[in-house]
Amino acid sequence: MDTISRAGLSRRSILKAGAAAGFTLAAPGLLRAQTKELVVGGAASHKPWVEQVVIPNFEKKYGAKIIFEGTKSLVNLEKMQKNKGSQYLSVVQMDDPVMILAVKEGLLDPLTAAKAPNLAELVAGATHMDGMWANYLQPWLGIAYNKTAMKTAPTSWADLFDPKYKGRIIIPSLQNTEGLPSLFIAGHLATGASFAAAQKDTDAGFKKLAGIKANLLTIYTQMPQAYNLLEQGEAWMIGPAMSSFASERKAAGAPIELAAPKEGVFAMPSGIAVVKGAPQSELAFAYVNELLGAALQAQLVGPTASLGTNKATPKPAGLPADLTVHQIDWANVAAERSNWVSRWDREMAL
Amino acid sequence: MMALRRIDPVGLLVLPAVLYLGLVYGLPLLNLLARALVVDGVPSLAGFVKFFSDPFDWIVIGNTLRIAVLVTLLSLAIGFPTALALARARGAAQALILVAIILPLSVGVVVKAFAWQIVLRRDGVVSQALVALGLWDEPQRLLFTEAGLVIGAANVFVPFMILPIYSVVKLIDPRLGEAAATLGAAPAYRFFRVFLPLALPGIVSGIAFVFSMAVSMYVVPNLLIGDRFQTLATLTGRSFLLMRNEQLGSTTAVVLLVLAVSVVVASSALSRRFGGQS
Repeated sequence: MDTISRAGLSRRSILKAGAAAGFTLAAPGLLRAQTKELVVGGAASHKPWVEQVVIPNFEKKYGAKIIFEGTKSLVNLEKMQKNKGSQYLSVVQMDDPVMILAVKEGLLDPLTAAKAPNLAELVAGATHMDGMWANYLQPWLGIAYNKTAMKTAPTSWADLFDPKYKGRIIIPSLQNTEGLPSLFIAGHLATGASFAAAQKDTDAGFKKLAGIKANLLTIYTQMPQAYNLLEQGEAWMIGPAMSSFASERKAAGAPIELAAPKEGVFAMPSGIAVVKGAPQSELAFAYVNELLGAALQAQLVGPTASLGTNKATPKPAGLPADLTVHQIDWANVAAERSNWVSRWDREMAL
Repeated sequence: MMALRRIDPVGLLVLPAVLYLGLVYGLPLLNLLARALVVDGVPSLAGFVKFFSDPFDWIVIGNTLRIAVLVTLLSLAIGFPTALALARARGAAQALILVAIILPLSVGVVVKAFAWQIVLRRDGVVSQALVALGLWDEPQRLLFTEAGLVIGAANVFVPFMILPIYSVVKLIDPRLGEAAATLGAAPAYRFFRVFLPLALPGIVSGIAFVFSMAVSMYVVPNLLIGDRFQTLATLTGRSFLLMRNEQLGSTTAVVLLVLAVSVVVASSALSRRFGGQS
């Protein structure tokens, strides 16, 4: 229109307009060929790798379009609750504790090996509540440390308790998902019990944790603040520390490093599930299947500093090949967390 | 018509404020109160009984009040002389002091808290100064201690102490002091018997402002002392956000509200009594 009004009707502009009109008439046919559309709800932080790796791969293979809505797990839950009966989300990528809530609300369609064959190829502990959801990636929890302050890397979770680090240690609050393993680690260090057993009986863990208080600079609820202190050298170690966040800071040039203690690291939950009553249900299972497949996971473990969950996915570079990865029993966490937080408040107070 | 005429038309000016506060403050507050007084669907005081029978909750109340009082006292110690200086200053000096007080208000609390983190850390200026002065043998930790929290919080709230005091002090006629002097009053006597009673309304408003903000602050303790120091405000936030325990959350919120209101009301009543205000 601009061309026409400014330059008047020249022969060229009429030709252009004609071509445009022709395209517009043909377009519905083109669009109809592409109506397969899948809406995936995930975390805002997923957006880069979903858009750069997952979507191009998937669209090429299935000829379908993916719309990724990046927000927070609890917001996705809200969207599913509000649209129950007329869902527009087909797939959700959410943290496991929120998945438990979604299962309770009856919002998820269970995964089966028939619909998503890669489900059978996952490592133990990556499928939850009879296949209601699965973990496609696992960021892991190790010890982040300041390279300038610490000449040698920490090798054991017990290092966090070493008196020589008085006032230099930061641990996450039990309010934060990544904070829960502190309790299990302490229990394991106190009694030598397996991490699985230490999750069930946390009494010894609480008693042992009281011994870390002299070493604590603080207990954080805001992760960026904790890393700020670590990077400034006021804190020397953060543990448990999330691989995805630490590696992002490291890549940005912060003088920090992430160590995998010899007792093993913990897998953090990145779950994926199909929404019950999802539009394009078949395509939704195909999407989940792709994310559970070794080919796609191999491309994702590097950029997300995470472990794959498919048995065939190689470990990301820089991690020992014989690394033990402990799983967290999220159903147990959901049942006990309030009691734990309450005891933590009393016993970890200044 | 008779009844309507008795209402002072000027009184109607408060209508927008009353409507606004009733809607966005009064109603939610009533809702909160109601939740605290209902346990399992029946009216009950069980929530409060449970709260007050837990020794830990008394520690939390103690933390909340102690920090709020210390922050208020520190703000008063810094704010009172500053307000006097501001009232006496003229021209550019006054403008400069005002800007220095008001400008920091435009900086978010989170930014300030991060700044304090830099100032209070072991190699920060406060620690270095104390070592240089010989008060400390070696750098010590100030971050994530009660002292650090009080210093940081007072920094955030001190303008709310200075401004009310300033607004009252600037109206005090300086000739009153001179008059007292001609009648033979010593400086200390003039200050305590002439100046202070006149300045008291400003001081009381400043204390009320700072105390009520300090007693309910949430973000500042979160960033300056962390998870190991619970106050009623942080406990309320956590009960709603994390533990999904509305009953506990509304109970702590009501306790906090009652404490804050009674301290503010009591301080203003005391000031009336001792300040000779009517």
